[in-house]
Formats: sequence, C-alpha cells, structure tokens
Amino acid sequence: MSAGPVLKLTEAETTLVAQLGARGAAAEAERLLGAGLPTRRVEAYHYTDLRQLLRSVPVLAEAGPATQGPLSIPGAVALSITNARVGPIPTLAQGLHGQKGQGGVLAQRDDVLVRLNSALAGEHLALEVKGAVTVPVVIDRRIEGAASHAAGAVKLFVADHASLTLIEVFSGSDAAHVGNHATAITLGKGANLTHITLNVMGPTATHFATNEYHLGAAAHLRTLVVQAGGALSRTQLFPTYEGEGATAAITGLNLVGDGQHVDLTMDALHAVPHTASKPLFKTIARGRSRAVVQGRLVVARNAQKTDAKLMAQGLMLSDEAEILTKPELEIYADDVVCGHGSTCGRLDEDHLFYLMSRGISKSVAETMLVRGFLAELIDPITDETVAALLHTLIDSWLER
Amino acid sequence: MNKYAIPTLKEEIEDATVDAVLSLDVDKYKYGFESHFETDKAPKGLSEDTVRFISAKKGEPEWMLAWRLDAYRRWLTLTEPTWAKVHYPPIDYQDMYYYAAPKSAQKPKSLDEVDPALLEMYEKLGVPLKERELLAGVEQPRVAVDAVIDSVSVATTFRAELNKQGIIFCSIAEAIREYPELVRQYLGTVVPVSDNFYATLNSAVFTDGSFCYIPKGVRCPMELSTYFRINEAKTGQFERTLLIADEGSYVSYLEGCTAPSRAENQLHAAVVELVALKDAEIKYSTVQNWFPGDKDGKGGVYNFVTKRGDCRGENSKISWTQVETGSAITWKYPSCILRGDNSRGEFYSIAISNGYQQVDSGTKMIHLGKNTSSRIISKGIAAGFSDNTYRGQVSAHARATNARNFTQCDSLLIGDKCGAHTVPYIESRNASAVFEHEATTSKISDDQMFYCQQRGLSEEEAVALIVNGFVRDVLQHLPMEFMVETQKLISISLEGSVG
Repeated sequence: MSAGPVLKLTEAETTLVAQLGARGAAAEAERLLGAGLPTRRVEAYHYTDLRQLLRSVPVLAEAGPATQGPLSIPGAVALSITNARVGPIPTLAQGLHGQKGQGGVLAQRDDVLVRLNSALAGEHLALEVKGAVTVPVVIDRRIEGAASHAAGAVKLFVADHASLTLIEVFSGSDAAHVGNHATAITLGKGANLTHITLNVMGPTATHFATNEYHLGAAAHLRTLVVQAGGALSRTQLFPTYEGEGATAAITGLNLVGDGQHVDLTMDALHAVPHTASKPLFKTIARGRSRAVVQGRLVVARNAQKTDAKLMAQGLMLSDEAEILTKPELEIYADDVVCGHGSTCGRLDEDHLFYLMSRGISKSVAETMLVRGFLAELIDPITDETVAALLHTLIDSWLER
Repeated sequence: MNKYAIPTLKEEIEDATVDAVLSLDVDKYKYGFESHFETDKAPKGLSEDTVRFISAKKGEPEWMLAWRLDAYRRWLTLTEPTWAKVHYPPIDYQDMYYYAAPKSAQKPKSLDEVDPALLEMYEKLGVPLKERELLAGVEQPRVAVDAVIDSVSVATTFRAELNKQGIIFCSIAEAIREYPELVRQYLGTVVPVSDNFYATLNSAVFTDGSFCYIPKGVRCPMELSTYFRINEAKTGQFERTLLIADEGSYVSYLEGCTAPSRAENQLHAAVVELVALKDAEIKYSTVQNWFPGDKDGKGGVYNFVTKRGDCRGENSKISWTQVETGSAITWKYPSCILRGDNSRGEFYSIAISNGYQQVDSGTKMIHLGKNTSSRIISKGIAAGFSDNTYRGQVSAHARATNARNFTQCDSLLIGDKCGAHTVPYIESRNASAVFEHEATTSKISDDQMFYCQQRGLSEEEAVALIVNGFVRDVLQHLPMEFMVETQKLISISLEGSVG
C-alpha cells in the first residue's frame, strides 16, 4: 500500500466502485478507490468538480423496451439505444450498415468519464457509411424507468468520400438518471460528416457524453453540440486531426437555465501538417446557473501549417449566472497560425435601444438579439428539417 | 577592416555586435560572475530552529517570530503545486541554506565604508549606486536603490532626501524594528501567510527585502529601486517586499535580479505585496534576469514568486510591467485585487525563453469593486528547447458591476523545438461585466526576415529587430532606465536561437 492518506469515498464513488467490481473491472475499481472522482485540482475538471457535484449514482440500468424520443425528424432513419441497450436495427438506406457490437468504443485516455464508459458499456451500436447518404440518421438515446446509471456507446465509420448527417438525441424519463455516453467516429479520406447532439434530459438528470473524432486526410467534420437539459451536464469533444488537409468546424451551444451546471469541454490534437479547425462555442446563461467552456488546441511538433482559431462567446441574461471560460493553446510547431478569442457580457444596451426605438417591445427585441447571437451556429446546418428542429428547440428554451 | 577607411554604418553595427558578444561571459550570461567575500550563514536545512535563528539574527520582536513560526507550521501541511506546465526534479528543502549575509562587523554608514569587493560587484552589475557621483555634481538619472545580496539588504541610497517628504524607504528588517505599527498593519494582508506553498515558505524564512511607504498626497520624486542578487552557493533567496501608497500618492518602483552561473539549481521564492489606498497609484517594473542555466539546461534559478497588489481604495491603480528573460523555471503571476470602486489594474509582460528554460507566468485580475477595469498585454517569445506558458485569470465577482477587462496575449515561436502555450481562466459572475480576450501564436515570417536581411541586417540582427517590434506595446510602459537595458537583453537572450 502507498503511504499516502486513504481517500474517504463519497456516496457516488462508493457506488461506482461497486458497479465496476460487479462488471469485473477490478483495475478500474482499484484506480477509483485510490484517486476518487476528479476535483478542481485536476485541470480538465477545474470548473466541474465531480467529487462535489456528483452526489450519488443510481443503480446500473436494466434492459427496457425501446421507446420513441421526444424529437422527430420526418424522413430520417431512426435508431435507438435505450438504457444502454441497442434497439432493433431496421433495414437501412443504401450505403448504410448497422449492427450490434460488444464492449466500449473509446480509445484509452486518462479521463474518468472515458474510463467509466469503457468499463461499463456492455454493448454498442456500430454504424458504417459508404457513399453519400442523403437522409439524416437519428439515434434516440434514452434512459427509461426509475433513476438509473446508463453507459451507452456508438461507433461510426464514415468510409472514404462518404457523407452523412448524424443526430443523437439524449432524453429520458423524468428521474435523476446518470447517463455517461460515448460516441467514437472515424472519418476516412475525403469523408464528410455533420454530427449534431442534443441534450434534452430531464431537470434532475446528470448527463455526460464523450465524442471522439478521428479525421482522415481531407475529411471534413461539422459538429453542433446543444446542451439544454440536465441538472449537471458535461460534453467532452476529443477531435484528432490525423490526415493532412482535414478540417473541422466544431461548434457548441450551452443553453443554461436556473439551477443547472453545464460544461462543454474540447481537447483537440492537430497531429499532422496542413489541418484547420474553427471551434466556436456559445453560451447563454440565465437564472442562478453555471456554464463552463473549456477548449484546448494542441498542435504537435510536426503539425506545421496548422490553422486553428477557437472562439468562445458568452451571453449573460441574469446577475446570478456564471460563465467560466478556459480556452487553451498548447503549441509545439512554429509555422502555424493559431489563436483564441473569448468574449463575455450581456445584451448590448445600444442594440436594444435601437430596436425598441423602432416600436419593438423589449422582450421581442431581446429574442431577436439572442437569435442573432446564435445564427452563426444554426445557419451552416444545410438540412432544412434539421435546422427547423434546432430553431424549435431554441425557441422553446427561450420561452421557458 | 582597413584601419584608414571610414567605417560604414553597417560595419560599425557589426563591430558593436562583435564587441557585445565578446563582452559576454560563458553561455552568454553576463552576470554569471561570482564575487568572493566572507559570508555568515545559518546551518543548512529548515526547521523551527532555522526560523528562530533568522528571527534572532534580524533582532526581531516577539510578534514577528510568532508570525514566522505560524507560517512554518502551516507550510509543513502544504504540498507543492503541480498545475503549472513546468518540470523539475523534486526540491530537497533540507539541502540548502536559508540565511546568508555578507559578513561585516558593522553596518556601513556610507558607501565609502562598504567592502570594495561588494562595490566592485555592483559595478559589474551596472547597478546605479551612484549617490556619490551625484553628490560630486555628475548628472545621472536619479534612482534610489536598495540592494539585496543573498539574504540581506546592504545599502539603501537617497534615504535622507526621501525622508524629507516623509517617504520611508528601507530594508524590511529595519522597518520591522523601526516602524512595527506600519508593518503589522499591512504585512500579510495582500498575500496571506498560507496563500500558497512558496509564499508560506517565504513567510517563515524571509530574510530581507525592501519596505516602502509613501505618505498621503506625496508624489515620490524619484524612481525607487531594489536590486536582488543571489551570490552564495546552495542558498535559497527569500525576500519580502512591502510597498504602501497612502491616499493620493504615486510611486514608480523598479526591481532587478541577477545570480552567478552555477551548475546546481538555486531557489528563489519571493513575496511582493503592494497596497494602494484611495486615489493612489503604484507602477511596479521588474527586469528579471536570474541565471537561466547553461546551454544544456544545467543549473539556473527556480523562480517561484508570489506578487500581488491590492487596489484597496477607490480610484486606485496598480500597474505591473515585467521583463522575464532569466531563470531556469519561472512560476510567477503578478496580480491585482481590484477592491476599490473605479480601481484599475494593468499587466504588461515580455517573457523570453531560450535554451531549456521553462516559463509559466501571467497575471490575475480579480474584480471585486464596481466599475473596475483591467488590461493585460502579454508577449511570450519561445526559442531553443524552451516552453513558454501564459497563464492568467480574470474574474468578476457578483458585485463587480460594470467590470471591464481586455486581454491580449501573443506568442512568437522561434524554431521548432520550443513550445508556446496560453491558458487563460475567464470567470464572469456578473452580467454587466464585459470581458474580451484574444490570443495569437505565430512565427517570424519569412517575408519579414527577407525584408530585413535584404537591407543588410544579419539573421540575428533581423530577429532582434522584429522581436523588439513584437514587444513594442509593452516596452512603452517601461521606465526609461529599463527600456534601454531591455532592448539589449532581448537581443542577448535570443542569441544562438536562429541559424
């Protein structure tokens, strides 16, 4: 035994250790026993102290019947994962192949959510795309029934020059669920993917999601992570630019209301020369709430000619809201153009005055300005039905 | 060159460059000499006895000893911080001396009585201990200097003249004896005893440093300056600076640091506390040029410093300007607590790293009062095998209505073996706070180099010229005496970084 002080486990940690033990993940259980959940002293969790925030973890989810999610997109291919179990896979469109696989999907990484998902995910949905698939694919990822802990996983391979729009909707029954989800995506040469994730969990739920992306040469990725639900949410994005000419527009939107703690964290690695990324994260916070945006750009020694610019913008609609931002650059190559920017403030008084002086009521003027603030994220979504869905989601949040 | 020919401008520049290079010591660190004079040391290692020894040596009152012992006991419960992007072997805090003083039976009354070896050292340092020359009628910029060697303040100039205006400028040891009320009132109020690992260590074992008090409404008539130097081997330097600007006063303060070249690492853990009361303004400038280690990364100073200013009164202002070229490892975040309404904090920094240096430096702007504003301009330049990190925090408290911050941090990479990193923490807890942050990383473009070289500059001259342009925004905020020195330092620090 080490000589260090023995950690007194929290209720959540005790449950997690037991669950890991029950799934035969002895090494992970041992590790958690020694280190506990990350605190603010762990840089990646500086503003999301899991030890303090994650009070308890419910029982591991039992299999349940597949149900319909809250959002529907006409004409889309509908797949589901309920309580971490892959639902029935219908006959899929041309170029699309899906099957059930065993175990987790994420690459090894020194991150507690990744470790827990990999140890606890029993099965995953494996999708493969060849050629251009024009209809969007929607995966409903739900946690049903009484409060439970679910670790689901999805693996997607987009073959060379193939393209797809994938939408994942995270929802559940109105209970204090803990969802810890994983999505691992590989983009082949010249592949093109739009990946949208929507977190619309209930108000007492905890939502964790890890999206891992591997971008091949000349691949293009667009992501939009919308976090609107859950009492405690954290979405982690881990893109790796592995092929020359890979580009990505990684975008995210936190809609944070009273009593919520919402965290959006990106850790990107530009591993080869000539890659480009433009991460853009926006946050709207109101009520007594806390929003966290962390974004790190790592440029490896040989990743010359990297062009990366991260932008984080926050809009505060109340004096009790907090927006905590940590954009990071870690650069080891010298011939690069990298930067980040961050702004934070409330709606511009002058803009409000301009609209109101033209007879528009204050609340309408505010909504117009907020929509303007968000347009940059929604406008690039070319699929009209998907864009309409996003607008509905945002409007209903604003009217809440 | 034909000695009868009139030298062209270019040749003159070349000659000047050659001379400059020749005048450098081994490994290009011109302050790398070691002076030999007798010193008085405490026994090696750290214990309550060491703390008592230091306190007794300084003839301190009982309350000061109690304060130190409290700090020492708290230090035993703390662990070294590990979040910075710096790497070094574990430090053995028992394997160093905590007190070393140049041995002299009595404190010299004037510079004439000072050990000639000491004066010679100052001459080498280029420290403007020029009181005598000034008295002899030689025109010099007027700077009052407090010089600290190893652990002890050896000389403070211009005291009589400053005293006339009620300004107190002396060593902190003297202040503890002569002005205990002032020291007790302010010491540890900006950087609390157990603030962090190194500050707590400093609180327990600090040996000397400067103390300065500017009374109400007084504009300090000259620059005040402290010059720090570690001379002894295996000695940690722990100085403490306390600067108080009373209502409506103004002071500009300069700080310089050097150390001899040694193969071992030396620890420097200083604490600087600034207090600005209502309408007061403090301008604090540092040129930090501790020994950075040799070209293989051997030796050098570990510079773990806590510097913090407290804008306690309304409309007060604190401005930090720093030029960081030395030290093997720098861990330093000069900060401003903007407590008073309408107070303002500024931070201007140039951090240059070459060889195997590691820099993790930046600032904290803590907005507590209404209408507080802050501005951060940081320029990091990484060359050789070095790592250069900007780490800064800007936070607005819930009551900090209309807080305003602008941050610009730019990094320049020279060569592909170094790293430049930016880690800002931006925390807004008030909707009316407006924060803007921008960071860029780039290299010197081939076009810029071609342009300069095509006009006859050598590669190194071109780099120095472009870098000086890159840091111009910060240079402007340096006092005149430092500006010239800094421009020279930049070219010396970057020597050998290209080609």
